Amino acid sequence: MNQKMKGIITKVIFAILALALWEIVAKSGVFGEKSELVFPSLEAIGSAFIRNFTVGYADISLMTYIINSMKLLFEGLFLGILLSFLFSGLSMISKTFYYIYDLIVTVFDLLPGVALLPVVIIIVGVKPGIVVLLVVHAVLWPMSRNILDGFKSVPQIYIEAGRNIGLRGAKLLLGVYIPAATSYIVSGLKVGWARAWRGLISAEMIFGLASCPGIGLFINQMRTNMNNAEMYATLIVIVIIGLFVQYAILEPIEKCTVKRWGMSR
Amino acid sequence: MKLKKLLCIALCTTLIGGLAACGNSGSEDKGEKEVINIAYQYGLAYAPLIIAEKNNTIEEAYKEATGDDVEINWIQMNSGADINTGIASGEIDVGFMGVGPAITGVAKDVGYKIFTNLSGQDHGMMVNDNSVGSLKDLVGSDKQIAVVNIGSIQHIILAMALENEGIDPHALDGNLIAMKHPDGMTALTTGNVFGHVTSSPYIYKEEADEKLYPIEAVSKAWTNEDSFIVGVAAEAFKDGSEAQYEALCEGIGNAMDFINNNVEEAAELTYELNGNTLEDEILYLEKGHYSTETSGVVKMAEFMYKNKFVDVDPGAYEDIVYENVKGN
Amino acid sequence: MMDDIILEVTNLSKTYDNNTENEKNVIKSLDLKVNRNEFVCILGPSGCGKTTLLRCIAGFEGFEGSIKVNGKETVEPDTERIMVFQDFNQLFPWLTVEKNIQYALKLKGIKDKKKLKQMSDEALAKVKLEGNEKLYPYQLSGGMKQRVAIAKALALNPTILLMDEPFAALDAMTRNVLQRELLDIYEKEDCTFIFITHNIQEALVLGSRVIVMKEGGNIVVDEENSIEKPVKPSSPGYGEMWNRMHEALY
Repeated sequence: MNQKMKGIITKVIFAILALALWEIVAKSGVFGEKSELVFPSLEAIGSAFIRNFTVGYADISLMTYIINSMKLLFEGLFLGILLSFLFSGLSMISKTFYYIYDLIVTVFDLLPGVALLPVVIIIVGVKPGIVVLLVVHAVLWPMSRNILDGFKSVPQIYIEAGRNIGLRGAKLLLGVYIPAATSYIVSGLKVGWARAWRGLISAEMIFGLASCPGIGLFINQMRTNMNNAEMYATLIVIVIIGLFVQYAILEPIEKCTVKRWGMSR
Repeated sequence: MKLKKLLCIALCTTLIGGLAACGNSGSEDKGEKEVINIAYQYGLAYAPLIIAEKNNTIEEAYKEATGDDVEINWIQMNSGADINTGIASGEIDVGFMGVGPAITGVAKDVGYKIFTNLSGQDHGMMVNDNSVGSLKDLVGSDKQIAVVNIGSIQHIILAMALENEGIDPHALDGNLIAMKHPDGMTALTTGNVFGHVTSSPYIYKEEADEKLYPIEAVSKAWTNEDSFIVGVAAEAFKDGSEAQYEALCEGIGNAMDFINNNVEEAAELTYELNGNTLEDEILYLEKGHYSTETSGVVKMAEFMYKNKFVDVDPGAYEDIVYENVKGN
Repeated sequence: MMDDIILEVTNLSKTYDNNTENEKNVIKSLDLKVNRNEFVCILGPSGCGKTTLLRCIAGFEGFEGSIKVNGKETVEPDTERIMVFQDFNQLFPWLTVEKNIQYALKLKGIKDKKKLKQMSDEALAKVKLEGNEKLYPYQLSGGMKQRVAIAKALALNPTILLMDEPFAALDAMTRNVLQRELLDIYEKEDCTFIFITHNIQEALVLGSRVIVMKEGGNIVVDEENSIEKPVKPSSPGYGEMWNRMHEALY
């Protein structure tokens, strides 16, 4: 408990120091006369933060952009996680499938989603579905890699104990492989979530869909219009959402599983 | 324990100091410089800059006027927004960008004005269905139109065309989809989007495709006579060295003259960089309009402010361009 | 009497790394018959094939020859033959003590929650672990983990309980306690035990029959343990039998 408090205090102190430094740099005008434009002060960012929600861009509040992004994000996350379990599971059942899927994961994990965009456009066309697909791409491979690694590191004794009490095939997968690989799966979720969130925003920045405008498009517009304070404020929103998912969703999952089972400290 | 704490503090200080140092570069003296940092972008519309770079027209103009040498640092960047940030932070002295971002930069007081026009190009909109002949038919539909960016010059031209037809300039905003010119062309020809608003040379390539049909109102809204790409120079740079500023204007002007007078020689210099065949490059350069005189800048600025493409009034012609620039 | 034979191993051979230069015959044509309700202790040096024999009976390994339980040929693992491993980590760490037991029972088709609870409680009582139902395996000591493993095995009511040196990694005190408890259980349960150990004392204390196995699954000693229970070093006949086993082993 003490250790935990210390960790929190250290983080808070560092954050305050970093913010203070930001303010000093912003106020010192090291960027010349136009410093406020490229390096806005905290007050400017703060009021831009509020403005983003009250005024927004093109008469639409940032909230709408966030909701649009989130919809696509969760669709993609859900699909990506589902597919990663499905394919990794099949890999455990069929050796041939494993060899092929292992290769696919290795290859596609290396490709940045944004680089695939032109190909995806030709195949899928231009729908919000494209962004979902890029999120799936961002999640599926790291998640699959983690699950496969997790499955491979399941101790033989669990598998034998499972077979002994009558588990076979899909039942063995659900009853032994998946729970035994939970710590890998959770870390896969962490990596997958971060990649998905980043992938979504960069996809939206390149591929802006005006009928379903997301956070990426909002950032791009703020940049184009030289509204840097608004842009930084949007980055803060991105961080806040990221922290929320980390601490309100992923950590509780970890606490209810691997930590509770004594599989991780 | 004490030592550990000290070490920790030292580490944090270094970390923060390092961050601060990152922000510090670029605050060097704003006075007389031997190097001019020029940022530009990629494509046919920037052809005079390739000539200026390869033929050293700015360096020569400076040498002729002062007898001294000046070095040009050419920096290729991805967007007008990036160049705006670069100029605002003092890293870049001169930039070339679309007239839209330039007006935004002036309005936002980045600290520059337009010092020359660079080029005008053909723009237009193509659709892949001949049953739709005018913009009116598109309003209210869910047909998608690709542009390079929301708020880009192509988007503004589309809005202008709508206004010319007596329609709300933002009526098609919900139909827009942002993608790079070549991706937009692919999406159009494969039927993944309905229309594409683009500029030369893509518009020529699309016009050559028999299955694509032009929307005339868009190409008429902003022609190759109108300013498309302009050059901006930081006020600090202009105030810092009048001689360099003059050499810059003259060098860029000379590069344009070179294209206008020796289009074949110019094409030899540019076609590889632009990724075209020599024949195509000559054709495209001839269709482009390379002049130092601006055209339509005020019209563009007023339209942008009125229709919220920029949220601050850019002001009158004299506020947007330096006194040596001719045009409107 | 033929009726009493519960396990019949005939001409069993097991080779690892077939057709490679590392090819190794762990077991060569082994024959073994075990009667109902026997407690067979198998002694043997490391690598003699005793664990492999147990794994073949459990169904974890492929083999040549035949293994019949109750006259039926066995191939796959099944709850009629439950294995208790030496490794403490044979319980699923993501399930509590009682869920570890109930999960196995559920797979056997018992769905009623009350019934499950009653069965897991009974099994835990047999190994004297009442009150620890809600703990997770990581909260247990090694001895407690092995008790839960035994309780789980008993709950499944197997025909044969296969035990692969389950107490080898425990300290001497815990080991003695568990040996005594296991004997109690053996006397009460209708179950056949095959128990592997390399400890002669343990074999004499537990076994109703003691087998010494050497290289290649070669059975060199196979005799009834007629020493009166509870077996102590002071029991009559203990010293002689201990010496015979020791000689056979080394």
